[in-house]
Amino acid sequence: MAEDQELLPVDPQSGKPIPRTKQPGYYPRYSTLSQKKFWDATTRKLIEERVANIPPIRFFTQAELPLITAVTSRVLPQDDRLAEYRIPIVPWIDHRLFENEIDGYRFEDMPDDREAYRLGLQAIEQTAHAMYAKLFVELEPLDQDAVLKTIHDGEKRAAHEIWSRMSVDRFWHLLVQDCVSAYYSHPWAWDEIGYGGPAYPRAYTRLENGLPEPWEVDEQRYEWQAPASSLSGAYDQQAGATDKPVHGQGGTH
Amino acid sequence: MKEPLFGAFRQARSDVHNLGPLQRIAKGTKQYRDDEEVDYVIVGLGSAGGVLLQRLAKAGFKVVGIEAGPFWDTELDWVSDEKGSHKLYWNDLRITGGTDPLSLGENNSGKGVGGGSVHWAAFAPRFHPSDFRVYTEDGVGADWPISYDELKPYYELLEREIPVAGPAYFPWGDPHGYPYGPHPLGAVGDVLVKGCTKLGIRVCAGGPVAILSGSHGNRPHCIYRGFCIQGCKVGAKASTLITHVPEAIRYGAEVRELSMVSRVSMRNRDRVNGVFYFDREGREHFQKAKAVIVSGYAIETPRLLLNSACPGHEHGLSNGSGTLGRYLMAQAGNVVLGRFADLIRMYKAPPAHALSEEFYETDPRRGFARGFAIQTVAPLPIAFAKQMMAAKGAWGWGMRRVLMDYNHWATLGVLGEILPWEDNRVEIANEKDQFGIPVAKVTFNLHENDKKMIAFGVKKVTEIMRAAGAEEVVQESRYAHLVGACRMGSDPRDSVVDKFGRTHEIANLFVCDGSILPTQGSANPGLTIQALAARTADYLISQGERIFTSDRRDMTTPPIRYSLAVEDSFTKGVPRFV
Repeated sequence: MAEDQELLPVDPQSGKPIPRTKQPGYYPRYSTLSQKKFWDATTRKLIEERVANIPPIRFFTQAELPLITAVTSRVLPQDDRLAEYRIPIVPWIDHRLFENEIDGYRFEDMPDDREAYRLGLQAIEQTAHAMYAKLFVELEPLDQDAVLKTIHDGEKRAAHEIWSRMSVDRFWHLLVQDCVSAYYSHPWAWDEIGYGGPAYPRAYTRLENGLPEPWEVDEQRYEWQAPASSLSGAYDQQAGATDKPVHGQGGTH
Repeated sequence: MKEPLFGAFRQARSDVHNLGPLQRIAKGTKQYRDDEEVDYVIVGLGSAGGVLLQRLAKAGFKVVGIEAGPFWDTELDWVSDEKGSHKLYWNDLRITGGTDPLSLGENNSGKGVGGGSVHWAAFAPRFHPSDFRVYTEDGVGADWPISYDELKPYYELLEREIPVAGPAYFPWGDPHGYPYGPHPLGAVGDVLVKGCTKLGIRVCAGGPVAILSGSHGNRPHCIYRGFCIQGCKVGAKASTLITHVPEAIRYGAEVRELSMVSRVSMRNRDRVNGVFYFDREGREHFQKAKAVIVSGYAIETPRLLLNSACPGHEHGLSNGSGTLGRYLMAQAGNVVLGRFADLIRMYKAPPAHALSEEFYETDPRRGFARGFAIQTVAPLPIAFAKQMMAAKGAWGWGMRRVLMDYNHWATLGVLGEILPWEDNRVEIANEKDQFGIPVAKVTFNLHENDKKMIAFGVKKVTEIMRAAGAEEVVQESRYAHLVGACRMGSDPRDSVVDKFGRTHEIANLFVCDGSILPTQGSANPGLTIQALAARTADYLISQGERIFTSDRRDMTTPPIRYSLAVEDSFTKGVPRFV
């Protein structure tokens, strides 16, 4: 397996890995949770439970669990976080699928979300086998990214039978959306990105010019490069995105 | 500042029903028995249903609103949290397809008392006079069976009732002013104003939004916390849950929550006599009624009328023309995202707070009919991450990096008029929901005019974003709002309801919601839906008992009944126009 150091983001000045930390991002010592007494009681209870009570695994099988864990560790890598400050992803995907919580619709070219995950994991395994003749979990992180990148790019390197029953692009969207929903709903992620979090009944008062509230902190940027053992640091439009736009699925207006 | 002066905020009172922090009503509402014949059953208590419930109750009718979702207690049920607000949306299964499938759920439909008005961003512009005669002016789409002038007094009334904050002078369409003053801008509004001003495009700051800029009776003003589409705990953003339903209950209306109507029942070929519904335990009931109003919005309304097919109405109720379910519309909602060197922090201020309607009307030089509006939007982190997945192909470390820059991004939305097309429609799918009711299948295809409009709109908003100083600009394709599929018209051969919302084929069955809109303009539909509901209510009230006994259609326009507006609409708060 790759050296532990190769998993870490790199300081472009020194070329050295940036040590793991409790809180990556440009807002050091900022803590939304430190403000929880200013939140209304219903919100406070929900967020406290989200941090403290991680749902048990009930949907994924013992055989699937290492694979979905390895996949989500690359789709939303947290190697820069100290182990005890990593945000659970798989338990929330599992919870949603076990409870059959859906977003209110199914695309006609997709199976239901549970079936989509089962098929998608099989397709990832088949792709890993076709490319490297190994199990996905046995691959080096860089090769794991190469497997996932084919799905991001809509390339059907293997699993043609599965992709004939399910849109490869929509499966990728499903997976990424579930990962970001788990990660960016956690207050530690809010601290990382400098998001203010709940503000009722207190209010935000400095609306213009990105000014911080008295309890927020100023940005302190640093430069970093994605780890050498990754392919996800660059931005590539998904294949075909120009002629067949990727449609968003989160509400804005 | 580490501790609130008086300690942490305690749980709100649970012995009352909280509708905002100050407005409290008694728990529970009047209960009609199933076999007790009521005057009106309203199916769905959203933007239209809430207004109808209040008007009809105040006029003295026995009225029950049957709502599939819960009767929210805003203090105990709602949170200042993006993920925790998922329950506000219509999350039951629908099938979506076509060449350009719509994402549904959180993007456009609500569940629970207040419906979509609970999670709208609350932009409340009027439609333009030209919207009512699109076919006459442009040879595309359809004309409305009413003119702007017929709806205008209802726009003015609802702008006072809910009320709307905005500029003293709104220059587009039929120029007018707003009763409450504009909101201060957040940084996204600043971006829109700066970009538009540099390019010489007129722009309107601080509204029009149905969000209080000053306190109004028992509703506090906005605290700029940015959770509008997660449900406004503050009570500053209007929803019929807090504006109209409380008064409906005071006048004796029943709110029957967690009850899913499965079909409208026919007494004979010509008249309905009630609805079948499932209660929260899945038991089926029949509520007897003299007349039924379906207010389930653009997917659930046609679904219900199609599922109510019966001998004499084999293709669904009021579907002799085959129009039911057709001409469904969504607006183009492309989001243009710009990264700025300076901080933005777009989670502050309501997402909706500045707009331009400079490109709303047809301009032949552009090569397509109709146009679009440009509006501020402001995704919270999860929605922003999903947009970056679509707009930049972000994942892995690239996703982590762009989210660390969340506070540097500003977002503007195109809100574009997609025309009504016959092939965009709601049908019944093979799948069934948890009650065994067949679900809706939605088909959506963009047509040539729509594609040209979207390309032009995205290009124009990108120019504005650049002019405001963005270093990087990307875009995400999406849609917003849903209307149509039970359209109103004068000719029963190509419409489902008449200009008062009465179905062409059944004299005591009405539809009143966004589904009756023949075209959609580039304005958010919420205010128009509420104005139409108040107008339909005035019609029903002026017709009185005749609705229940006669098949004759009186097409006389009723007088507007200001006395039925929500109590003290004209006296509470400090509106600047009297």
